[in-house]
Amino acid sequence: MNENRRQILEMLAAGKITADEAERLIAALESEPAATAGVFTGNIAGSNGRNDATVKTHAKYLRVLVESTEKDGPTTVNVRVPMQLLRAGVRLASLIPAQAQDQLDAKLSKHGIPLTVSQIKPENLEELIDHLEDLTVDVDAKEEKAKVRVFCE
Amino acid sequence: MIPNVAVLQIESPHCHMPTLWLPLFLLWIPLILLSPLILFVILAACIAGRVSFWKAIATFLGILCALRGLNVRVTTYDSKVLVRIL
Repeated sequence: MNENRRQILEMLAAGKITADEAERLIAALESEPAATAGVFTGNIAGSNGRNDATVKTHAKYLRVLVESTEKDGPTTVNVRVPMQLLRAGVRLASLIPAQAQDQLDAKLSKHGIPLTVSQIKPENLEELIDHLEDLTVDVDAKEEKAKVRVFCE
Repeated sequence: MIPNVAVLQIESPHCHMPTLWLPLFLLWIPLILLSPLILFVILAACIAGRVSFWKAIATFLGILCALRGLNVRVTTYDSKVLVRIL
């Protein structure tokens, strides 16, 4: 049996994660390509609210590729952000004073973004990364076309 | 590990400069000299914002260390900007 699968089943048996979480983790393991399969890092909150299960991911970078065609010629943007930087950035959110967080939340919701900054936690980021295998967004405007690709590597 | 070198390259019709290798480790010298002042400012900000001083230091160090490997490359038909942190 695969070591990661065994680890997940052991966590399930120990009651550290729920059956749904175990199923999700196993599905993530199966969908991982060979280069990214293996041990995971990060936390997933257990059913009891504690951060019991430690999950590790091999993805080291978040890559954002933007290719747009404009009148004058093509424009490309290629950004590679280390995952550690994203995690550190999320931790930075916890340093924002509560009063400022409230103001930020109010401004965001005023602009149609129902986001609560205080609820952004590193485990949310891990969950996002798990689901962000390869996202491609095509943007069509009147005169310009752009393709945005976001993936982990 | 804290990044040691940054690579900067800017090419445009108005400005064409060679690839710059910036030795970030040299910044440690003024940083160490100014550390009492910097720590005092951070401490004052933490007290004002009611944030743990050590947590703030750990977070900023975490961000600094995580900058390694950052790569930004923007290319248009006539200009190019590259920023790499090694």
